[in-house]
Amino acid sequence: MNLRMSAAIVAGRVASWLSKRQGHKGSSLPGMVALKIYSGTLRDLAAQVRKKIIVVSGTNGKTTTSNMIFGILRDAGYQNIANLEGANMVSGVTTSFVKRAGLSGKIDCDYAVLEVDEATMPIVLKELTPGVVVLTNFFRDQLDRYWELDKVIGVIRKSLKNNDRNTTLILNADDPLVAQFEKNAGLPVVFYGLSGSERSASTSTQTREAQYCPFCGSPLGYEFYHYGQLGRYRCSGCDFARPVARVEAGEPRIRDGVANCRLYFDQQEAELTMQVQGLYNLYNAMAAFAVGLHFGVDVPLMLESLRKYRPVLGRLERFSYQGRSAFLSLVKNPTGFNEGLADLRSMKGTKSLFFAINDNDADGRDISWLWDVDFEVLNKDHNDLAGFICSGSRGEEIALRLKYAGIPMDRIVVCKDMERGIRSVLDSRSDMVYLFSTYTALWPVHKILNSLVDKEGAYAAGGPFIS
Amino acid sequence: MLQVGHLYPELLNLYGDRGNIITFVQRCRWRNIPVSVRAINLGEPVNFKDYDFVLLGGGSDREQNLIAADLLKHRDEFAAAIEDGLVVLAICGGYQLLGKYYLTLDHENIPGLDILDFYTRAGDKRLVGNVAVEVNMGGKKFSIAGFENHSGQTYLGNIQPLGRILAGGGNNGVDGLEGARYKNVFCSYLHGPLLPKNARLTDQLITLALARRGIKPELMPLDDRFENSACQVMLDKLRVSKG
Ligand SMILES: [Zn+2]
Repeated sequence: MNLRMSAAIVAGRVASWLSKRQGHKGSSLPGMVALKIYSGTLRDLAAQVRKKIIVVSGTNGKTTTSNMIFGILRDAGYQNIANLEGANMVSGVTTSFVKRAGLSGKIDCDYAVLEVDEATMPIVLKELTPGVVVLTNFFRDQLDRYWELDKVIGVIRKSLKNNDRNTTLILNADDPLVAQFEKNAGLPVVFYGLSGSERSASTSTQTREAQYCPFCGSPLGYEFYHYGQLGRYRCSGCDFARPVARVEAGEPRIRDGVANCRLYFDQQEAELTMQVQGLYNLYNAMAAFAVGLHFGVDVPLMLESLRKYRPVLGRLERFSYQGRSAFLSLVKNPTGFNEGLADLRSMKGTKSLFFAINDNDADGRDISWLWDVDFEVLNKDHNDLAGFICSGSRGEEIALRLKYAGIPMDRIVVCKDMERGIRSVLDSRSDMVYLFSTYTALWPVHKILNSLVDKEGAYAAGGPFIS
Repeated sequence: MLQVGHLYPELLNLYGDRGNIITFVQRCRWRNIPVSVRAINLGEPVNFKDYDFVLLGGGSDREQNLIAADLLKHRDEFAAAIEDGLVVLAICGGYQLLGKYYLTLDHENIPGLDILDFYTRAGDKRLVGNVAVEVNMGGKKFSIAGFENHSGQTYLGNIQPLGRILAGGGNNGVDGLEGARYKNVFCSYLHGPLLPKNARLTDQLITLALARRGIKPELMPLDDRFENSACQVMLDKLRVSKG
């Protein structure tokens, strides 16, 4: 028995208890305290995972993908550890282990599903050996924290290269910035991707990250785009092209909160149905499915697990208020926000919108990315949009952005009192309400919403939250 | 008709730079001033004589090198248009590019377009955060706000700064200056983007572009409540008075 480890775990538990008493969620404090007392806490605990550790990183979809993987492994009858609430720095990852450790420093689990922040990858990979690393996509996110995308990708590439171990990469074939890792890392790869559909466009008006080949610098040509830089690409100068995917989704149909598609894999096919909105959720599901396939989990069991999946906090959660629907969406970068607007536009009826935009450290102090979001698309369905209520520490900035997108000023209201703003958007006579919130505003918005509405489809008892 | 040129929008589009174009265009349209925007992409021919206002934004290092090579081919035409009063807004990496050179940490000297008299050298500390600057334009002093994020430190030669730092780092974090001004060229490290919250600066650019066309620059006033309050929020946060 390692005495320092025991001391670290006790201290972590106490920290967790104290912070909960003060009303905090305590999702990274225990790990932080434990690591201070014994720096080998994460290494020692992670080494006890019986089967494999799954690390999920990338810009968007980390939390949802991790939750889907967790659900599949749980339904397959395994004991799992995870940081499902999105505390994805070293302290948050460590917390998930500390909470499940006995005082002697022993844990009992088959798999660990770890969402890891992109910039944190090198630190986490130094402490543990993942059996699988899932990379979802790379979009621009919180640039003042991470500088430029190139640097983030370089950091992950380097940490995977140093890692000549038995790790399999699960990669999004449709994102050239992710697919490049096959050549760069020299590890076994499973690709997943989406085939073309009527929704895919031949051009992209959205800000794209990858214009040029990561290997030879020539322009990438696209047969079609799904969103952002995701699509079927081919380099004009070398043989880099969208790889063949082992798991491929086709014929996506997304309507009124239900997403369907055909899944093609290993010369088989199956129908996938989920209670989610948004094309990006098909990507998340494919990533989770590919992980399960890699571990040999039963396919019908995976499909059933994904069918039961319900969105986690702020990932287009649906609430109901006096018979009408309200959707809450976490926004943190242009690509995610554009997808949120696409969801909103796909719904029939009149809508009222609420925005809570903060510029705290965890949101990114630089909110210039709001100007990279295509709010101009809202002009096309002007008459369906009754009102725009802007809140948060930078409510004035989103109001200004909407004005320059062409929304008439008289429909835009800045309301710094969040509760009053949410009440008034819910009381509008629209058929539905959309609320967009940055990270640090999400909990307050969620709390206010919960006090006002009757929520449907919450992740039911037996859900994945381990706290 | 005012012709706006957006240089390399596919490459230089960090930090919402296109918000500067959106703002310039909207503030013309709301006043019934005809305006059109053309994207100038890598490898395409560009005739600077055709333009009234040109935006040169910032990009990542890799992109910055690609466009420097391309823009160098049009260097003389660009410099001549600037002498002729072309209105230019150059932000961050685009700003650095107009100068003499960029000195990297390994003492490598990357030549700039050498149109304006300043140079930039890589700093060991990145200047990141909200910024307030006092500018003096059209005989009036006022404050502008934005966000900076750069490791290059710029030192001005025989050229005016855009303004004086009230809060934040600016050109180099040392001499209290921010940006550069030469004829109708405005250089700045501020994105955010710069123009939306700083309507008076935008209107100054429009006025200069119109005047160069020989049009009487009497701009119709607009309802700038949103612009002013978005700027004021930042000035208050930085504890700076609007001036
Ligand atoms: Zn290539």
